[in-house]
Amino acid sequence: MKVEELLLHPLPTQTPKLTLGCPILDHLLRGGVPCNSITEIVAESGTGKTQLSLQLLLAAQLPVSRGGLSAASLYLHSEFPFPIRRLHQLSFFYAPHLPNNPLDRIFIHPLHSADHLLDLLPRLDFIVPQLNIKLIVIDSIAALFRGEFENTPVELKRRSSIFFKISSKLRFHARKFGLAVVLTNQVVDVMDSSDSPRIGNSGFLCSSGRRVCAALGLSWANCVNTRLFMWREEERRGEENGVSENTQTRRFVRVVFAPHLPDCSCEFVITREGIHGVDR
Amino acid sequence: MEISTLPISASQRGKLLSAGYTSLSSLSSLSPSGLAQDLKISETEALEILKVASQRNGLNKFENGSRAIVNGAQTAWDMLHEEESSIRITTSCSDLDEILGGGISPKEVTEIGGVPGIGKTQLAIQLAVNVQIPADYGGLGGKAIYIDTEGSFMVERALQIAEACAQDMLEYNSLLRKNFKPCQGNKEPKEFLDNIFYFRVCTYTEQIAVINYLEKFIFEHKDVKVVIIDSITFHFRQDFEDMALRTRLLGGMALKLMKLAKKFNLAVVLLNQVTTKFMDGSFQLTLALGDSWAHASTNRIILYWNGNERYAYIDKSPSLRSASASYSVTGKGIRNSASNCKRVKLM
Repeated sequence: MKVEELLLHPLPTQTPKLTLGCPILDHLLRGGVPCNSITEIVAESGTGKTQLSLQLLLAAQLPVSRGGLSAASLYLHSEFPFPIRRLHQLSFFYAPHLPNNPLDRIFIHPLHSADHLLDLLPRLDFIVPQLNIKLIVIDSIAALFRGEFENTPVELKRRSSIFFKISSKLRFHARKFGLAVVLTNQVVDVMDSSDSPRIGNSGFLCSSGRRVCAALGLSWANCVNTRLFMWREEERRGEENGVSENTQTRRFVRVVFAPHLPDCSCEFVITREGIHGVDR
Repeated sequence: MEISTLPISASQRGKLLSAGYTSLSSLSSLSPSGLAQDLKISETEALEILKVASQRNGLNKFENGSRAIVNGAQTAWDMLHEEESSIRITTSCSDLDEILGGGISPKEVTEIGGVPGIGKTQLAIQLAVNVQIPADYGGLGGKAIYIDTEGSFMVERALQIAEACAQDMLEYNSLLRKNFKPCQGNKEPKEFLDNIFYFRVCTYTEQIAVINYLEKFIFEHKDVKVVIIDSITFHFRQDFEDMALRTRLLGGMALKLMKLAKKFNLAVVLLNQVTTKFMDGSFQLTLALGDSWAHASTNRIILYWNGNERYAYIDKSPSLRSASASYSVTGKGIRNSASNCKRVKLM
């Protein structure tokens, strides 16, 4: 390979984007999930990370005219079990727009550890072009690092060097094959606000009324291009005396940082048909 | 094209253009012997061309008899004169420009660091656009090299910033030059993108290869006035078993970049990440790559959050006093922060 080949000139006028399957959410991301870069979705469990990932797997198969990539997708999951029934349910809503059974073009692979992921990444060179994959989802990246590493300086250093290795390989493949890469990440509670540096648009993130921040710390934050935060708020409804009181969950998504997006947020709901933005 | 207006012979003009010299500023930092070698002409002829060009520039530095004794050496007086007359690249945020002494200075390596999402890439894209502001508007009229190691450069965003820049130039035109004919060199936003040479590097070997290749590339494209690396750090934070090797590689890169900055009279801007360092019993934020790297850049600027506002702080500079200023990232690019604007208006 020659150095000259690394020059991209003239620049294209637009980055290809993958639709989220909802015009309001697409508007939030100015067209969708960008290809050639890594997008991270941070949220506590039960907010809708996996729901959105499943929706993206199907949306990737849509023709380009509908905002898709007309390509297959690869789903690497470290959280078990894989929600196959939900994916099957969602696929009905996409089937009319697609020539074949959408489930045939979603490839699923379990991940057991960070080293397992590192072993798998070089093989993408072969798999991705052969299966015409244009979207890789890793759900979740945090689960790979929970528990395996101790909280000592040496271990933390080893951990962050693995972060950079994984990120570098993913970015390499994203660039080489024009992939959209989506990672999900968990949150951790913030005990003492003074010792964690502020990252991104919001001074602090709140979910379910607790102060949280993205798992895996500062060095991992350098490993993604775009970070989205999804959170939930419980809202009480009904009579005040507590007799027929029920709670309603509202869900929101916000851009924490992104090279191409301003600080913006929107509310969304999860229905049988999938995730949809709410215009309020 | 400025060269075509110089009162020199057609063959000299042709030689200059085919060697890649299109603007007066590309000639400003050259020695007669360098130009002579480059164009394969005699040294006296080269001196003649430079004299004409410098007269046009209003510098007349060859007539003062202050020619260097040793080739390539300069007197301190010349250096001062040159520095005073050199044009800096504006950041589009006047508060930031003020603490930087007018903007990012050419011939120097400037390192900018901060947490993810603080606006490093935004500032870098802004500089890649602003370096192209034509001389009529007080800019350099140069081109940019953007070396992207993280994949964060988004063309949509660059286009957005370029549109705002073109818009500002139009406004400037209509405000200040009502009675004159409009300035030459109004630019379409798309043209800004065409003047950014974008390299995407995916490994540290590619990064080193590109930096080694830059000298040849800039030699062919003399209008390049800024080299941006976003970020210098990323590929060097994966596991380097041999930390001594890492230090050597980084040191070598830094030397090459400094040489480029001096030789071609261009600004080098390096983006760096931050990391935590264990100091005095607590973890503190510091720029990545360690202490020896801290010597690599002439100026160091740290971007940080102060409440809900973004601030820039001059951490190291041989000529600027340490100071901080707020800035904001808007749809148009880097601008003064909103609260500051209000204060200025009140005064």
